[in-house]
Amino acid sequence: MKGVQQTNWRGFFIFTALVLIFPLLISKSFYITQATFAGIYTIVAIGLGLLMGYAGQISLGQAAFYGVGAYTTAVLTATMGVSPWLSLLFALLIPALLAWVMGHTMSRLSGYYLAMATLAFGIIVNVLLVEWRSVTYGASGFYGIPNIELFGLRLTQGTTYYYFVWTIGLLVLAVSLNIVHSRIGRALRSIHDSEIASGAMGVDTGKYKMQIFILSAMFAGLAGWLFAHMSYSISPSSFGLDASILFLVMVVLGGSTSVWGAVIGALLITSISVLVHNLGLRFSFISSDFEHVLYGLILMLVIIFMPRGLFPTLVDWLKTKGWTTKVSSRADKVQS
Amino acid sequence: MGDFLQFIVTGMTIGSIYAIVALGFVTIYSVTKVINLAQGEFVMLGGMLMFTFTAAGIPYWLSFLLTLIVVSLFGMLMESTVIRRAGGADPVSLIILTIGAAIFIRGVASMIWGKGSVRIDPFTSNQSFQFAGASISPQSIWIMLIMFFIVISLYILIERTILGKAFQACSVNPKAARLMGINPKKMSSLSFTLSAGLGALAGLAIAPIMFPSYDVGIMLGVKGFSAAILGGLGSAPGAVLGGIVIGLVEAFGAGYISSGLKDAIAFTFVLLILLIRPSGILGERSVGKGGL
Repeated sequence: MKGVQQTNWRGFFIFTALVLIFPLLISKSFYITQATFAGIYTIVAIGLGLLMGYAGQISLGQAAFYGVGAYTTAVLTATMGVSPWLSLLFALLIPALLAWVMGHTMSRLSGYYLAMATLAFGIIVNVLLVEWRSVTYGASGFYGIPNIELFGLRLTQGTTYYYFVWTIGLLVLAVSLNIVHSRIGRALRSIHDSEIASGAMGVDTGKYKMQIFILSAMFAGLAGWLFAHMSYSISPSSFGLDASILFLVMVVLGGSTSVWGAVIGALLITSISVLVHNLGLRFSFISSDFEHVLYGLILMLVIIFMPRGLFPTLVDWLKTKGWTTKVSSRADKVQS
Repeated sequence: MGDFLQFIVTGMTIGSIYAIVALGFVTIYSVTKVINLAQGEFVMLGGMLMFTFTAAGIPYWLSFLLTLIVVSLFGMLMESTVIRRAGGADPVSLIILTIGAAIFIRGVASMIWGKGSVRIDPFTSNQSFQFAGASISPQSIWIMLIMFFIVISLYILIERTILGKAFQACSVNPKAARLMGINPKKMSSLSFTLSAGLGALAGLAIAPIMFPSYDVGIMLGVKGFSAAILGGLGSAPGAVLGGIVIGLVEAFGAGYISSGLKDAIAFTFVLLILLIRPSGILGERSVGKGGL
């Protein structure tokens, strides 16, 4: 096994080490919380990245699945007293089911029509979260979501929850790296390049795209589950169009044609938000509005100057410098 | 009966606004194949600039003209600084690009005008009159009149002038158009200017009844986009039809079911129509490559 089929586990292990030592270097609770959020966003972004970069589909309503995951577990655990571990199953299944229904409904749409449909879907779900008051408690939000218990340990916020989220995040990353380097990944890449050609080669394009769509919805649902049990309360405003677009910014910034792109995008966007927050403490004109101006600017600049995103562009640049080829040839030797 | 008529009036008013916004989408799409999701921000800018100009003491009619000109120039600027540089990017990238522009404009607007909404005087008297049990504001009549005026002028522009022919040529085949001496870049720039002007006009017309704030552009843009999609992208009559239909569905949904659910009802309706006709009501039958 050589070349593109090879998963670069070296990168994965380096990244894991960085995740493990982060709380040892920076222990201030604000940064731990933000890093935990980065882990949750990474899970959503990886799913959206697979959908955009590998299945070539845009979703402007990804936050809907994230919200459905969060509200599913909130209702099951806080209202009905179900264990968070049992509700995890539903936080994965219900978004998957929704994606399956949506996938069938939208199977005949493409391009701008598909973008419109996903946008509409996101808005409909958000309106329902606000209006279905008897279940969701409306715009003001849902209170009293219990913590998760693991081996008798209550996972409250802070370093414990950070490690919990990132364990799951790394698992999602590993699974996704495996998927894109498997048969399915190759099939999806061929669909992305030419759907007609891959169809002619016997690839069941519709089936693969549907599977990725469902997987991306499950990742978002999983992230929603993590988010709900991290916060005591949730409200529909966290799962609106703004959130969907923020996930899109992450994927586009990092680069959708690589799983690592989504990870880097999520980490960068969280870092920018932390940076703006810190600058805002010093300069009064820098507010959360400024953050949005920055996101808009980033989106435009990336599309214009780095259409494939930061990570693939960086890898190419390193290749021209002859760095990564050396690394990978050494890796090949170790393998053989 | 009074309720029913009231819903029709409300639906037609708001539907006319969606139709104008949708015509903005179609104007750009038919020339450049770009969907400009910042179209709603032009509508917002129309309302906010009008407020700034009138508040500065500039006469109403002059503020009106100034707003139209400034927003149109803004559209031109956006085309030359952002859209043209992306070259022939794929639809997904282009849509993300215009989303970026929309977030940027919205962010800057909230830094300039703050989060509150502003108040603008209506074109003529504010006195509503009664008709068969429904109350109709003069501004509603103005909005519908403006919509008809735009539809007729656009029709004349596209079908009866050389410029319109050049637009159509660029839409069908930019390379062939260039060989015939038409400059597609200039046409692209013109389409953005025109579309921004249309957006501003929609913003000016709706401002007295809507009290615009920095974030009204999102929903107006999305509704205009869905009206253009519902009608069949690239079809001007479709855009008008789509706008009015969505406006009516929304008004009746709000009236008979729940005002909180009106957006969900409108978008569910759009999804259902797309399920039956994947390329919109008046769209071309070719759907292109399948989606999910």
